[in-house]
Amino acid sequence: MGTLTTDDSIARRIKEMPMLSAVASRLLELTGDQDHSINDVGRIVESDAFLTSRVLRVANSAAFSPIDPIQTVNKAVSYLGEKMLIGIAIGSGSAKVFKTPLDGYESKAGELWDHSLRTAIASRELAEFAAKNLSPNIAFTAGLLHDIGKSVISEFLEGNTKDLTSLCDKGVAEDFLAAERSMAGTDHCEVGFQLGNHWRLPATLCAAIKYHHHPWKSEEEYKPLVYAVHLGDIVAMLGGVGTGADSFAYRIDINYDNYIKVGKEDLSYLLLKVEEEFSKTRNFVFGSEEI
Amino acid sequence: MATIYVGVGEYAVSKNPDDVVKTLALGSCVGVIMLAPESKAVGLLHVALPDSSISKKRVAERPGMFADTGIPLLIKEMKKLGYNGNGKLIVKLAGGAAIMDPNNTFNIGKRNLLAVKKILWQYKLGSRNEHIGDSISRTVTVNVDTGKVMLSSPGRGEWEL
Repeated sequence: MGTLTTDDSIARRIKEMPMLSAVASRLLELTGDQDHSINDVGRIVESDAFLTSRVLRVANSAAFSPIDPIQTVNKAVSYLGEKMLIGIAIGSGSAKVFKTPLDGYESKAGELWDHSLRTAIASRELAEFAAKNLSPNIAFTAGLLHDIGKSVISEFLEGNTKDLTSLCDKGVAEDFLAAERSMAGTDHCEVGFQLGNHWRLPATLCAAIKYHHHPWKSEEEYKPLVYAVHLGDIVAMLGGVGTGADSFAYRIDINYDNYIKVGKEDLSYLLLKVEEEFSKTRNFVFGSEEI
Repeated sequence: MATIYVGVGEYAVSKNPDDVVKTLALGSCVGVIMLAPESKAVGLLHVALPDSSISKKRVAERPGMFADTGIPLLIKEMKKLGYNGNGKLIVKLAGGAAIMDPNNTFNIGKRNLLAVKKILWQYKLGSRNEHIGDSISRTVTVNVDTGKVMLSSPGRGEWEL
Protein backbone atom coordinates (compact mmCIF):
# COMPACT_ATOMS: atom_id res chain seq x y z
CA MET A 1 0.00 0.00 0.00
CA GLY A 2 1.86 3.03 -1.19
CA THR A 3 0.79 6.61 -1.14
CA LEU A 4 -1.51 6.96 -4.10
CA THR A 5 -1.59 10.69 -4.35
CA THR A 6 0.58 13.72 -4.01
CA ASP A 7 0.05 17.13 -2.50
CA ASP A 8 -0.15 18.52 -6.03
CA SER A 9 -2.95 16.26 -7.23
CA ILE A 10 -5.02 16.87 -4.08
CA ALA A 11 -4.46 20.60 -4.34
CA ARG A 12 -5.49 20.51 -7.98
CA ARG A 13 -8.66 18.57 -7.18
CA ILE A 14 -9.55 21.07 -4.46
CA LYS A 15 -9.30 23.91 -6.97
CA GLU A 16 -11.38 21.94 -9.47
CA MET A 17 -14.17 21.21 -6.98
CA PRO A 18 -17.50 22.51 -8.27
CA MET A 19 -19.43 24.96 -6.17
CA LEU A 20 -22.99 23.82 -5.84
CA SER A 21 -26.25 25.41 -6.76
CA ALA A 22 -28.81 22.62 -6.76
CA VAL A 23 -31.15 24.99 -4.94
CA ALA A 24 -30.69 27.81 -7.43
CA SER A 25 -33.94 27.16 -9.25
CA ARG A 26 -35.86 27.01 -5.97
CA LEU A 27 -34.27 30.28 -4.91
CA LEU A 28 -35.23 31.86 -8.20
CA GLU A 29 -38.75 30.55 -7.80
CA LEU A 30 -38.98 31.85 -4.25
CA THR A 31 -37.49 35.26 -4.94
CA GLY A 32 -39.81 35.61 -7.94
CA ASP A 33 -42.68 35.61 -5.43
CA GLN A 34 -43.02 39.08 -3.91
CA ASP A 35 -44.40 37.76 -0.64
CA HIS A 36 -41.34 35.78 0.39
CA SER A 37 -39.23 36.70 3.40
CA ILE A 38 -35.47 36.87 3.77
CA ASN A 39 -35.75 34.04 6.29
CA ASP A 40 -37.19 31.78 3.58
CA VAL A 41 -34.17 32.57 1.43
CA GLY A 42 -31.82 31.86 4.32
CA ARG A 43 -33.52 28.57 5.04
CA ILE A 44 -33.07 27.31 1.50
CA VAL A 45 -29.46 28.47 1.35
CA GLU A 46 -28.44 26.95 4.67
CA SER A 47 -29.86 23.58 3.65
CA ASP A 48 -27.19 23.21 0.96
CA ALA A 49 -23.65 22.86 2.22
CA PHE A 50 -21.67 24.03 -0.76
CA LEU A 51 -23.91 27.01 -1.48
CA THR A 52 -23.63 27.90 2.22
CA SER A 53 -19.87 27.83 2.01
CA ARG A 54 -19.86 29.87 -1.19
CA VAL A 55 -22.14 32.53 0.29
CA LEU A 56 -20.01 32.77 3.45
CA ARG A 57 -16.85 32.93 1.39
CA VAL A 58 -18.15 35.78 -0.73
CA ALA A 59 -19.54 37.63 2.29
CA ASN A 60 -16.17 37.37 4.02
CA SER A 61 -14.10 38.12 0.92
CA ALA A 62 -11.92 41.17 0.46
CA ALA A 63 -14.47 42.57 -1.97
CA PHE A 64 -17.10 42.81 0.75
CA SER A 65 -14.71 43.08 3.70
CA PRO A 66 -17.12 42.87 6.65
CA ILE A 67 -15.98 44.50 9.89
CA ASP A 68 -16.53 41.23 11.79
CA PRO A 69 -16.41 37.77 10.21
CA ILE A 70 -19.85 36.68 9.04
CA GLN A 71 -20.55 33.20 10.35
CA THR A 72 -24.23 32.56 9.76
CA VAL A 73 -26.15 32.26 6.54
CA ASN A 74 -28.86 34.70 7.58
CA LYS A 75 -26.30 37.41 8.21
CA ALA A 76 -24.61 36.65 4.91
CA VAL A 77 -27.94 36.77 3.06
CA SER A 78 -28.83 40.15 4.60
CA TYR A 79 -25.32 41.46 4.02
CA LEU A 80 -25.04 40.39 0.39
CA GLY A 81 -28.58 40.99 -0.77
CA GLU A 82 -30.72 38.74 -2.91
CA LYS A 83 -29.37 39.54 -6.32
CA MET A 84 -25.85 38.74 -5.32
CA LEU A 85 -27.12 35.59 -3.69
CA ILE A 86 -28.85 34.37 -6.81
CA GLY A 87 -25.74 35.20 -8.81
CA ILE A 88 -23.75 33.04 -6.46
CA ALA A 89 -26.30 30.25 -6.63
CA ILE A 90 -26.32 30.12 -10.41
CA GLY A 91 -22.61 30.57 -10.76
CA SER A 92 -21.62 28.00 -8.25
CA GLY A 93 -22.22 24.81 -10.17
CA SER A 94 -24.65 22.18 -8.93
CA ALA A 95 -25.53 20.05 -5.96
CA LYS A 96 -24.23 17.03 -7.84
CA VAL A 97 -21.30 16.68 -5.47
CA PHE A 98 -23.61 15.70 -2.63
CA LYS A 99 -25.67 13.44 -4.84
CA THR A 100 -22.72 11.71 -6.46
CA PRO A 101 -21.64 8.36 -5.02
CA LEU A 102 -18.50 8.33 -2.85
CA ASP A 103 -17.05 5.20 -4.42
CA GLY A 104 -14.01 5.17 -2.13
CA TYR A 105 -16.42 4.72 0.80
CA GLU A 106 -18.87 2.43 -1.05
CA SER A 107 -21.40 5.15 -0.38
CA LYS A 108 -24.34 5.60 -2.72
CA ALA A 109 -25.47 8.78 -4.45
CA GLY A 110 -27.09 11.21 -2.02
CA GLU A 111 -25.70 9.61 1.14
CA LEU A 112 -23.17 12.40 1.74
CA TRP A 113 -26.00 14.91 1.53
CA ASP A 114 -28.20 12.94 3.94
CA HIS A 115 -25.32 12.45 6.35
CA SER A 116 -24.30 16.12 6.24
CA LEU A 117 -27.84 17.37 6.79
CA ARG A 118 -28.41 14.86 9.57
CA THR A 119 -25.15 15.89 11.27
CA ALA A 120 -26.08 19.56 10.89
CA ILE A 121 -29.45 19.04 12.60
CA ALA A 122 -27.92 16.93 15.37
CA SER A 123 -25.12 19.46 15.96
CA ARG A 124 -27.68 22.26 16.22
CA GLU A 125 -29.70 20.27 18.77
CA LEU A 126 -26.54 19.42 20.72
CA ALA A 127 -25.60 23.13 20.84
CA GLU A 128 -28.49 23.48 23.31
CA PHE A 129 -26.51 21.31 25.73
CA ALA A 130 -23.27 23.31 25.42
CA ALA A 131 -21.61 24.23 28.71
CA LYS A 132 -20.77 27.65 27.27
CA ASN A 133 -22.92 29.64 24.90
CA LEU A 134 -22.82 28.12 21.41
CA SER A 135 -24.81 29.42 18.43
CA PRO A 136 -27.13 26.70 17.11
CA ASN A 137 -26.92 28.27 13.64
CA ILE A 138 -23.14 28.00 13.50
CA ALA A 139 -23.37 24.42 14.76
CA PHE A 140 -25.81 23.69 11.93
CA THR A 141 -23.54 25.26 9.32
CA ALA A 142 -20.47 23.44 10.63
CA GLY A 143 -22.36 20.14 10.64
CA LEU A 144 -23.38 20.65 7.03
CA LEU A 145 -19.80 21.31 5.95
CA HIS A 146 -17.89 18.88 8.18
CA ASP A 147 -17.35 16.14 5.58
CA ILE A 148 -16.75 18.18 2.42
CA GLY A 149 -13.27 16.65 2.22
CA LYS A 150 -14.82 13.27 1.38
CA SER A 151 -16.07 14.51 -1.98
CA VAL A 152 -12.42 15.25 -2.90
CA ILE A 153 -10.58 12.32 -1.34
CA SER A 154 -13.07 9.58 -2.29
CA GLU A 155 -11.62 9.04 -5.77
CA PHE A 156 -8.15 8.53 -4.30
CA LEU A 157 -9.49 5.74 -2.08
CA GLU A 158 -11.44 3.99 -4.81
CA GLY A 159 -10.76 0.28 -5.16
CA ASN A 160 -9.24 0.12 -1.66
CA THR A 161 -12.37 0.22 0.49
CA LYS A 162 -12.00 -3.39 1.70
CA ASP A 163 -8.40 -2.72 2.72
CA LEU A 164 -9.47 0.43 4.57
CA THR A 165 -12.15 -1.36 6.59
CA SER A 166 -9.82 -4.27 7.20
CA LEU A 167 -7.15 -1.95 8.66
CA CYS A 168 -9.79 -0.60 11.07
CA ASP A 169 -11.39 -3.98 11.91
CA LYS A 170 -8.01 -5.52 12.71
CA GLY A 171 -6.98 -2.54 14.81
CA VAL A 172 -3.99 -1.78 12.58
CA ALA A 173 -5.39 1.70 12.01
CA GLU A 174 -6.73 3.46 15.11
CA ASP A 175 -9.61 4.88 13.08
CA PHE A 176 -10.72 5.46 9.48
CA LEU A 177 -8.71 8.69 9.29
CA ALA A 178 -5.50 6.74 9.94
CA ALA A 179 -6.55 4.21 7.30
CA GLU A 180 -7.16 7.02 4.80
CA ARG A 181 -3.71 8.46 5.51
CA SER A 182 -2.06 5.11 4.92
CA MET A 183 -3.74 4.87 1.50
CA ALA A 184 -3.83 8.45 0.25
CA GLY A 185 -1.24 10.23 2.35
CA THR A 186 -3.88 12.50 3.82
CA ASP A 187 -7.39 12.25 5.29
CA HIS A 188 -10.83 13.75 4.65
CA CYS A 189 -10.52 16.15 7.62
CA GLU A 190 -7.27 17.67 6.34
CA VAL A 191 -8.54 17.83 2.77
CA GLY A 192 -11.80 19.38 3.94
CA PHE A 193 -9.83 21.92 5.96
CA GLN A 194 -7.82 22.86 2.87
CA LEU A 195 -11.00 23.16 0.84
CA GLY A 196 -12.50 25.33 3.60
CA ASN A 197 -9.43 27.57 3.53
CA HIS A 198 -9.58 27.75 -0.23
CA TRP A 199 -13.15 28.99 0.07
CA ARG A 200 -12.04 31.35 2.87
CA LEU A 201 -14.52 29.97 5.35
CA PRO A 202 -14.24 31.48 8.84
CA ALA A 203 -11.64 29.84 11.08
CA THR A 204 -14.36 28.46 13.39
CA LEU A 205 -15.89 26.42 10.61
CA CYS A 206 -12.49 25.31 9.33
CA ALA A 207 -11.66 24.07 12.83
CA ALA A 208 -14.88 22.03 12.95
CA ILE A 209 -14.05 20.48 9.58
CA LYS A 210 -10.46 19.69 10.55
CA TYR A 211 -11.00 18.38 14.07
CA HIS A 212 -14.47 16.81 14.07
CA HIS A 213 -13.00 13.35 14.68
CA HIS A 214 -10.23 14.52 17.05
CA PRO A 215 -11.78 17.48 18.85
CA TRP A 216 -9.18 17.49 21.62
CA LYS A 217 -6.63 18.77 19.08
CA SER A 218 -8.64 21.90 18.36
CA GLU A 219 -7.82 25.37 19.71
CA GLU A 220 -9.65 25.87 22.99
CA GLU A 221 -11.86 28.70 21.70
CA TYR A 222 -13.38 26.46 19.01
CA LYS A 223 -13.90 23.40 21.17
CA PRO A 224 -17.59 23.89 22.05
CA LEU A 225 -18.42 23.92 18.32
CA VAL A 226 -15.98 21.15 17.39
CA TYR A 227 -17.38 18.87 20.12
CA ALA A 228 -20.96 19.60 19.01
CA VAL A 229 -20.08 18.50 15.47
CA HIS A 230 -18.06 15.53 16.76
CA LEU A 231 -21.15 14.28 18.59
CA GLY A 232 -23.55 15.36 15.82
CA ASP A 233 -21.61 13.17 13.41
CA ILE A 234 -21.93 10.22 15.82
CA VAL A 235 -25.67 10.83 16.24
CA ALA A 236 -26.05 10.70 12.43
CA MET A 237 -24.14 7.40 12.31
CA LEU A 238 -26.21 5.96 15.19
CA GLY A 239 -29.31 6.72 13.12
CA GLY A 240 -27.85 4.67 10.27
CA VAL A 241 -27.10 7.73 8.17
CA GLY A 242 -23.37 7.56 7.52
CA THR A 243 -21.33 7.56 4.33
CA GLY A 244 -20.69 3.87 3.81
CA ALA A 245 -17.56 2.08 4.94
CA ASP A 246 -16.40 4.58 7.57
CA SER A 247 -19.58 4.47 9.67
CA PHE A 248 -18.65 3.85 13.32
CA ALA A 249 -14.93 3.57 12.42
CA TYR A 250 -14.06 6.45 14.75
CA ARG A 251 -13.69 6.88 18.49
CA ILE A 252 -15.74 9.10 20.71
CA ASP A 253 -13.70 11.67 22.63
CA ILE A 254 -14.94 11.25 26.18
CA ASN A 255 -13.92 14.81 27.06
CA TYR A 256 -17.11 15.87 25.27
CA ASP A 257 -18.67 15.97 28.71
CA ASN A 258 -16.72 19.15 29.50
CA TYR A 259 -18.27 20.99 26.56
CA ILE A 260 -21.60 19.33 25.73
CA LYS A 261 -23.59 18.28 28.79
CA VAL A 262 -25.82 15.68 27.21
CA GLY A 263 -27.02 12.74 29.30
CA LYS A 264 -28.28 9.24 28.67
CA GLU A 265 -31.92 10.28 29.05
CA ASP A 266 -31.49 13.19 26.64
CA LEU A 267 -30.16 11.02 23.85
CA SER A 268 -33.41 9.18 23.01
CA TYR A 269 -35.29 12.47 22.76
CA LEU A 270 -32.51 13.90 20.66
CA LEU A 271 -32.54 10.94 18.24
CA LEU A 272 -36.31 11.31 17.80
CA LYS A 273 -36.04 15.07 17.23
CA VAL A 274 -33.26 14.66 14.67
CA GLU A 275 -35.27 12.02 12.81
CA GLU A 276 -38.28 14.35 12.58
CA GLU A 277 -36.33 17.48 11.62
CA PHE A 278 -34.35 15.57 9.03
CA SER A 279 -37.47 14.46 7.16
CA LYS A 280 -38.85 18.02 7.18
CA THR A 281 -35.73 19.87 6.03
CA ARG A 282 -34.75 17.30 3.47
CA ASN A 283 -38.08 17.66 1.69
CA PHE A 284 -38.07 21.44 1.98
CA VAL A 285 -34.91 21.68 -0.09
CA PHE A 286 -35.18 19.05 -2.75
CA GLY A 287 -38.91 18.39 -2.76
CA SER A 288 -40.23 15.02 -1.68
CA GLU A 289 -40.68 13.83 -5.26
CA GLU A 290 -36.92 13.66 -5.72
CA ILE A 291 -36.19 11.65 -2.59
CA MET B 1 -39.44 -9.93 -7.49
CA ALA B 2 -40.76 -7.16 -5.26
CA THR B 3 -38.55 -5.58 -2.62
CA ILE B 4 -40.35 -4.30 0.46
CA TYR B 5 -38.26 -1.62 2.18
CA VAL B 6 -38.61 -1.27 5.93
CA GLY B 7 -37.72 2.24 7.13
CA VAL B 8 -36.73 3.39 10.61
CA GLY B 9 -39.46 2.37 13.07
CA GLU B 10 -41.34 0.43 10.40
CA TYR B 11 -42.09 -3.28 10.01
CA ALA B 12 -43.23 -5.61 7.25
CA VAL B 13 -44.49 -9.18 7.05
CA SER B 14 -44.95 -11.32 3.95
CA LYS B 15 -45.61 -14.87 2.81
CA ASN B 16 -45.39 -14.07 -0.87
CA PRO B 17 -42.45 -16.13 -2.19
CA ASP B 18 -41.71 -13.42 -4.76
CA ASP B 19 -40.98 -10.83 -2.05
CA VAL B 20 -37.70 -9.72 -0.56
CA VAL B 21 -37.91 -7.73 2.68
CA LYS B 22 -35.09 -5.32 3.29
CA THR B 23 -33.91 -2.70 5.79
CA LEU B 24 -31.00 -0.43 5.00
CA ALA B 25 -28.03 0.61 7.13
CA LEU B 26 -28.85 -0.36 10.69
CA GLY B 27 -26.62 1.73 12.94
CA SER B 28 -27.51 1.55 16.62
CA CYS B 29 -30.97 0.36 15.51
CA VAL B 30 -31.83 -3.34 15.73
CA GLY B 31 -33.37 -5.43 12.97
CA VAL B 32 -35.65 -8.13 14.39
CA ILE B 33 -36.22 -10.91 11.86
CA MET B 34 -38.95 -13.53 12.40
CA LEU B 35 -39.35 -16.68 10.32
CA ALA B 36 -42.33 -19.02 10.74
CA PRO B 37 -41.43 -22.21 8.81
CA GLU B 38 -44.90 -23.77 9.11
CA SER B 39 -46.79 -20.83 7.64
CA LYS B 40 -43.84 -19.75 5.43
CA ALA B 41 -44.20 -16.20 6.70
CA VAL B 42 -41.37 -13.79 7.44
CA GLY B 43 -41.32 -10.52 9.36
CA LEU B 44 -38.82 -7.72 9.76
CA LEU B 45 -38.92 -4.86 12.27
CA HIS B 46 -36.53 -1.87 12.47
CA VAL B 47 -36.31 -0.84 16.14
CA ALA B 48 -34.68 2.55 16.84
CA LEU B 49 -35.15 3.06 20.57
CA PRO B 50 -35.58 0.84 23.63
CA ASP B 51 -38.53 2.35 25.45
CA SER B 52 -41.80 3.88 24.22
CA SER B 53 -42.43 5.83 27.42
CA ILE B 54 -40.53 8.85 26.06
CA SER B 55 -43.13 9.87 23.45
CA LYS B 56 -46.80 8.93 23.31
CA LYS B 57 -47.11 10.88 20.08
CA ARG B 58 -44.45 8.83 18.33
CA VAL B 59 -45.89 5.57 19.66
CA ALA B 60 -49.20 6.48 18.04
CA GLU B 61 -47.52 7.48 14.77
CA ARG B 62 -44.90 4.75 14.54
CA PRO B 63 -45.08 2.02 17.19
CA GLY B 64 -42.35 0.00 15.48
CA MET B 65 -39.84 2.64 16.57
CA PHE B 66 -39.62 1.18 20.09
CA ALA B 67 -38.66 -2.31 21.25
CA ASP B 68 -41.52 -2.59 23.75
CA THR B 69 -44.26 -1.63 21.28
CA GLY B 70 -42.70 -2.92 18.04
CA ILE B 71 -42.06 -6.54 18.94
CA PRO B 72 -45.61 -7.32 20.16
CA LEU B 73 -46.88 -5.73 16.96
CA LEU B 74 -44.60 -7.83 14.76
CA ILE B 75 -45.75 -11.01 16.52
CA LYS B 76 -49.37 -9.94 16.02
CA GLU B 77 -48.74 -9.39 12.31
CA MET B 78 -47.03 -12.79 12.03
CA LYS B 79 -50.13 -14.37 13.56
CA LYS B 80 -52.28 -12.72 10.89
CA LEU B 81 -50.18 -14.57 8.31
CA GLY B 82 -50.74 -17.94 9.95
CA TYR B 83 -48.20 -18.23 12.77
CA ASN B 84 -50.23 -19.90 15.48
CA GLY B 85 -48.39 -18.50 18.51
CA ASN B 86 -47.22 -21.87 19.79
CA GLY B 87 -45.44 -23.27 16.79
CA LYS B 88 -41.90 -22.79 15.69
CA LEU B 89 -40.75 -19.19 15.32
CA ILE B 90 -37.15 -18.49 14.40
CA VAL B 91 -35.85 -15.14 15.55
CA LYS B 92 -32.66 -13.53 14.24
CA LEU B 93 -31.14 -10.22 15.26
CA ALA B 94 -28.85 -7.76 13.50
CA GLY B 95 -27.57 -4.28 14.32
CA GLY B 96 -27.07 -2.48 17.63
CA ALA B 97 -23.70 -1.09 16.53
CA ALA B 98 -21.57 0.13 19.38
CA ILE B 99 -19.96 3.43 20.28
CA MET B 100 -17.63 2.95 23.22
CA ASP B 101 -18.71 5.71 25.56
CA PRO B 102 -17.58 5.32 29.18
CA ASN B 103 -20.24 7.91 30.14
CA ASN B 104 -22.87 5.49 28.75
CA THR B 105 -24.75 8.26 26.96
CA PHE B 106 -24.06 7.15 23.40
CA ASN B 107 -24.28 3.37 24.02
CA ILE B 108 -27.79 3.35 22.62
CA GLY B 109 -27.07 0.27 20.46
CA LYS B 110 -26.43 -1.78 23.59
CA ARG B 111 -29.58 -0.42 25.26
CA ASN B 112 -31.61 -1.29 22.16
CA LEU B 113 -30.28 -4.86 22.14
CA LEU B 114 -30.99 -5.36 25.84
CA ALA B 115 -34.54 -4.05 25.43
CA VAL B 116 -35.21 -6.22 22.37
CA LYS B 117 -33.97 -9.36 24.14
CA LYS B 118 -35.98 -8.57 27.25
CA ILE B 119 -39.21 -8.20 25.30
CA LEU B 120 -38.51 -11.35 23.27
CA TRP B 121 -37.89 -13.19 26.52
CA GLN B 122 -41.33 -12.17 27.75
CA TYR B 123 -42.71 -14.11 24.76
CA LYS B 124 -40.30 -16.98 25.58
CA LEU B 125 -38.38 -16.23 22.43
CA GLY B 126 -34.63 -16.02 21.96
CA SER B 127 -32.48 -15.34 18.94
CA ARG B 128 -31.18 -18.31 17.00
CA ASN B 129 -28.61 -16.29 15.09
CA GLU B 130 -27.37 -12.80 15.68
CA HIS B 131 -24.82 -10.40 14.27
CA ILE B 132 -24.86 -7.54 16.73
CA GLY B 133 -22.71 -4.87 18.37
CA ASP B 134 -19.27 -4.03 16.97
CA SER B 135 -18.54 -0.88 15.05
CA ILE B 136 -20.25 -1.50 11.71
CA SER B 137 -23.51 -0.65 10.00
CA ARG B 138 -25.56 -3.46 8.51
CA THR B 139 -28.15 -3.90 5.77
CA VAL B 140 -30.59 -6.83 6.17
CA THR B 141 -32.24 -8.67 3.27
CA VAL B 142 -34.72 -11.49 3.87
CA ASN B 143 -35.80 -13.75 1.03
CA VAL B 144 -39.38 -14.86 1.74
CA ASP B 145 -39.17 -17.93 -0.50
CA THR B 146 -36.02 -19.45 1.03
CA GLY B 147 -36.07 -17.78 4.46
CA LYS B 148 -32.44 -16.90 3.89
CA VAL B 149 -31.26 -13.80 5.76
CA MET B 150 -28.34 -11.92 4.23
CA LEU B 151 -26.35 -9.13 5.86
CA SER B 152 -24.09 -6.65 4.13
CA SER B 153 -21.89 -3.75 5.15
CA PRO B 154 -19.92 -1.32 2.96
CA GLY B 155 -16.33 -2.54 2.56
CA ARG B 156 -17.15 -5.92 4.13
CA GLY B 157 -19.24 -7.62 1.47
CA GLU B 158 -22.27 -9.85 2.13
CA TRP B 159 -22.76 -12.88 4.36
CA GLU B 160 -25.56 -15.11 5.62
CA LEU B 161 -26.99 -14.74 9.10
